Amino acid sequence: MGLFTELKDSISRATDRLFSEQEPKRIGIYGPPNAGKTTLANRIARDWTGDAVGAESHVPHETRRARRKENVEIERDGKTVTIDIVDTPGVTTKVDYEEFTDEMDEDDAIRRSREATEGVAEAMHWLREDVDGVIYVLDSAEDPITQVNTMLIGIIESRDLPVLIFANKIDLDDSSVKRIEDAFPQHKTVPLSAKEGDNMDEVYDNIAEYFG
Amino acid sequence: MPHQCTNCGRTFADGSKEMLSGCPDCGGNKFQFAPAAADSSAPTGAETDGSGTVDAGSTPDSSDTESPDGVATRAAETVRDLMSAGSADDVASDGADRRQPVDTEPTADAGSTADAGSTADAGSTADAGSWPASGAADTTDSNPPTEPDDGPAGEFDEWPETARRPADRSDPPADRAVDDTERPDRSTDDSSRPTEGPTTTYADDENTAQADARSEVVPADELPAHEDGDPRPETETGDESPSSADSTGESRPVTDATDEPPEHGRVVQEPSGQRPSIEELRAELNEQFESIKIVRPGQYELNLMELYNREEYIISLQEDGRYVIDVPDSWRDADDE
Repeated sequence: MGLFTELKDSISRATDRLFSEQEPKRIGIYGPPNAGKTTLANRIARDWTGDAVGAESHVPHETRRARRKENVEIERDGKTVTIDIVDTPGVTTKVDYEEFTDEMDEDDAIRRSREATEGVAEAMHWLREDVDGVIYVLDSAEDPITQVNTMLIGIIESRDLPVLIFANKIDLDDSSVKRIEDAFPQHKTVPLSAKEGDNMDEVYDNIAEYFG
Repeated sequence: MPHQCTNCGRTFADGSKEMLSGCPDCGGNKFQFAPAAADSSAPTGAETDGSGTVDAGSTPDSSDTESPDGVATRAAETVRDLMSAGSADDVASDGADRRQPVDTEPTADAGSTADAGSTADAGSTADAGSWPASGAADTTDSNPPTEPDDGPAGEFDEWPETARRPADRSDPPADRAVDDTERPDRSTDDSSRPTEGPTTTYADDENTAQADARSEVVPADELPAHEDGDPRPETETGDESPSSADSTGESRPVTDATDEPPEHGRVVQEPSGQRPSIEELRAELNEQFESIKIVRPGQYELNLMELYNREEYIISLQEDGRYVIDVPDSWRDADDE
């Protein structure tokens, strides 16, 4: 049964932790839907491993299961940092299939919505159990102060995890990094465009520094 | 019965935490959610619940004869009624006296006399509703020899034996009268809030004093939750607070209640006093339980804090309100590391 395999997994995970001290840090990429989490994960994975993590889409909730890219080695200043990247589904407090009925038929939209909801649950569970650090991706062209952002940030802070805030989509005209910095002054904010690959050097510097 | 185990069919009240550690009966972790409104199985819409409560309330008073305790007695009565419906036999053994009155009373009220207005309402609602009301109706029919309300009884055939049995026992007529008198108030109240879901019932009503009293009797609360005559005894009771009891589960408190002496009944009853607003209760329940609210297929509201805080989490939402809960405890115990 599924339970059994899950069990086995968890056991092996526990033993892994016990016996391999230098296991790579598991970095969760969190953020609201459509902030560019998968695009970022793909960018990082491609830059350092040559593989992609998952499909990207302009329709929210494209990523509905957490996806992991393991053993991504990032070299900075001659040092190597190895991380596992977990690309999580966008976290939101409301999922409504009607948001994407334009893009697909209703049945598909409902299914997508359901899967997205499961994805949020899964993402939150990952956050609780399995993540050693958080990259929090925000769309810098949108208002950073929303219920989800503040709530999720609060949860992350409560865990005392290292957090980097990525102000994504700086290639857009509406983008305002300042707005994000002001919204979360307690954290380091890194501007970037995952899609265009802008400012990725600073991104990797910060990843190495915070999660290395 | 918003939540139902898809394996054994056991139902759980909205807000119940029992199922978070798997179905107590069969250990299954797959459930389906059926909003009270939509529930075919739980026809008990708000109205029915109200009626049920009403009946119970009125009857108990009469039976117990203690005016001050009225509320408590009512609650007890209602519980008993429910129980009796679930297991008539048990009732008989426990002490026909008390229980009988209860069972019979409701029916009597509806059928017979007096309170015409109120009673009539109760009767109608009862018909519509599945459980307590139905049970009551049946009993009444049987008891009162020449009662006009045969119709309802017929409808309640579904509830058959359990419901009827109580009826078999003869009830003192006096009780009925008393019940009737009290009833009207209740009935009116109920009618005023038709919208209330199953959850609203007893717990809502209780005041602090009542609550205190009730706390001792925890098991009673549980009873409602186990409709099926559950085998499983004590484990749950502690966890579930009044809220669970309140919920529809009450309707079929079932066997456990019957086994227990009248005291338990009282416990249950207490809630009947006054009801806090449904919204409050709902908010509390949400806090306790709801991490994912299925507004309708494809629309969900998520409580991130709950999702984050709770160890169990939903790993699969399925069609038509079914979902699977990951129950870490169920296996963690076995192989801790």
